[in-house]
Amino acid sequence: MATFAPPRPGPMTPGARPPAAARREAWQRRLPLTPALLFMIFVTQIPFVFTVIFSFQSWNLVRPGSQHWVGLGNYANVFTDSAFRGALFTEIEMTVLAVAISMVLGIGLAVLLDRKFPGRGIVRTLLIAPFLVMPTVAGLLWKTTMLDPVYGIVNYLLRLVGVAPVDFVSRFPMASIVTVLVWQWTPFMMLIVLAGLQSQSGEVLEAARVDGAGPWTTFRAITVPHLRPYIELGGLLGAIYLVNTFDVIFMTTQGGPGTATTNLPYYLYQRAFLGFDVGQASALGVVTVIGTIAVASVALRMLFTVFSTTEGRA
Amino acid sequence: MAEVRYEQASRIYPGTPPVMAVDRLDLAIADGEFLVLVGPSGSGKTTALRMLAGLEEIDSGRISIGDRDVTHAPPKERDIAMVFQSYALYPHMTVAQNMGFALNLRGVSKETIAEKVTEAARLLDLDKYLDRKPKALSGGQRQRVAMGRAIVREPSVFLMDEPLSNLDAKLRVETRANIAALQARLGTTTVYVTHDQVEAMTMGHRVAVLKDGVLQQCDTPRTLYERPANAFVAGFIGSPAMNLHTVPVSENGAQLGELTLPLPRATTANLTEVTLGIRPETLRLVGPEEAGFKLAVELVEELGADAYLHGRAHLGDSDQRFVLRVDGRTPPTIGQTVNAGLRDTGEIHLFHPGTGERLD
Ligand SMILES: Nc1ncnc2c1ncn2[C@@H]1O[C@H](COP(=O)(O)OP(=O)(O)OP(=O)(O)O)[C@@H](O)[C@H]1O
Ligand SMILES: [Mg+2]
Repeated sequence: MATFAPPRPGPMTPGARPPAAARREAWQRRLPLTPALLFMIFVTQIPFVFTVIFSFQSWNLVRPGSQHWVGLGNYANVFTDSAFRGALFTEIEMTVLAVAISMVLGIGLAVLLDRKFPGRGIVRTLLIAPFLVMPTVAGLLWKTTMLDPVYGIVNYLLRLVGVAPVDFVSRFPMASIVTVLVWQWTPFMMLIVLAGLQSQSGEVLEAARVDGAGPWTTFRAITVPHLRPYIELGGLLGAIYLVNTFDVIFMTTQGGPGTATTNLPYYLYQRAFLGFDVGQASALGVVTVIGTIAVASVALRMLFTVFSTTEGRA
Repeated sequence: MAEVRYEQASRIYPGTPPVMAVDRLDLAIADGEFLVLVGPSGSGKTTALRMLAGLEEIDSGRISIGDRDVTHAPPKERDIAMVFQSYALYPHMTVAQNMGFALNLRGVSKETIAEKVTEAARLLDLDKYLDRKPKALSGGQRQRVAMGRAIVREPSVFLMDEPLSNLDAKLRVETRANIAALQARLGTTTVYVTHDQVEAMTMGHRVAVLKDGVLQQCDTPRTLYERPANAFVAGFIGSPAMNLHTVPVSENGAQLGELTLPLPRATTANLTEVTLGIRPETLRLVGPEEAGFKLAVELVEELGADAYLHGRAHLGDSDQRFVLRVDGRTPPTIGQTVNAGLRDTGEIHLFHPGTGERLD
């Protein structure tokens, strides 16, 4: 019935509402969200504020009473600390290798899964499984059942072909960690690339066939450009997760041997919970957080351009 | 330049029950001919075209292009170019790259490609858009790029699957004429699929009508219109559709209300009924004193010059619908009862009531 009422002029249109009423309504909408917001602030921001405060102090838990203000001293140490720089490079190496290798494998598997064959559903489920395993469990699993020099499956297989057992975790620590990460993250890359492959228009592929392109040319000239946003998306998401790798390192190499597999999160942990150097560890943490925010915002901006170009495609 | 032959070519999609999408198709298309495949949805037009393109397996029979048997040849060895319904442009390539892609794969030199692309672009009025991506083009422009991509290759056969169905009505009429003119100019054998019988009639040198994967008739548009081979073709070709009604046969001929239509005895021998096919323009309004049948007007479609009158007649013991063309200036009004007669009894088509085959 309202449809037949004559349109009332002027002040009732939403744009022209008095600002106080608009503000009140906006707050009414936000109100249900505030408990969650307060909780978030309480559990994340308050500890961060403490971290910032500690980072200006020299404070080692092993020496009670040593707590005193040192201004920016801890920060100066961060930038002269060669172990920190080493951890940073380890971190970059580990992340880049894991993302790149899992992406290449993921693309390969996605291409294989993109065709129909009997048992495809089961194969897909099995391939996804490693992604569902907790990183801690994955680390333990690889360290023991797979790579152990005495009873590991890999060494058992090597023995069958006459190769002496290898202690992978201490001989090739970086390769071992990257293997575990790749094993976990290949399914993720595969899923994202598979979504890309399945969103590809069949007619475009047929047009390429009619135009004379073989399977490899079609893949290179048509499919890869189509997949690019998906590959970027998978790479970014994977990298954002993998820079935080801690559990796998903790379970397998403990950052070693030496500092061969000590990345930033693990180095932080060592300084705070093994060295009990609260002040220095806090400064490290603050620097890491600022760096991560910088990298993440660049990554997120890229991500949004990925989405907007995907949307605009014909 | 090549002729195309389908010889008993079939495509069966596996399933329970298997779908005979194209059923023993026999069709010979002359060099330079524009052949239109037409039929209702699901009649196997696309499948027949894709068999020729090599995108669909041929389960039995043969297909040849020129002198070559291409039954099992992959698409790239058939020297064909295809225009898809969705155009299937390569989204990340510019218009020029889209058009040059096939030549590029063949290893043609950059200069030759640029030359041919420019020439085709001029022909299709695409010069201004060569550097754009497909997403920055209108539907009509995309359609032209798809055409350009086919032309540039100078193939021996063009295949087109409903290339106009995504265009608006006005553009479709315009593009229809352009494609026909272009084909006449290039003289390339063309197989064109459409479900629109107006397109079929206006564009094709010959038109092949398919139904359920079976070829019903393949002939010139005029012959299809004047001598449809069966009731299906009669009903499919022409707009609005032909009036098809099965009526009893008496001593003197077929009985249409009070109207008796003399029938050639030989054709209706030992039939008690016959299917009459009467085009809307064969019917006309007559005065109450003339022979005709009564029609209750249900709907009048006014198209300007003409109007189509949809009415219901009581024939025998059932109601039957008729459409007739009347003068657009003085159409009857809904609810009126009019008297309908025939313009010329020679224009009536007779079909077998059971099989639908033409009876003369
Ligand atoms: N991949 C497939 N698997 C099984 N049946 C199919 C497949 N593709 C097509 N068909 C069937 O084959 C028949 C012919 O299909 P086709 O696409 O050739 O029809 P069409 O004449 O092009 O129709 P339209 O005008 O709607 O495009 C239809 O009955 C369809 O259901
Ligand atoms: Mg079709």
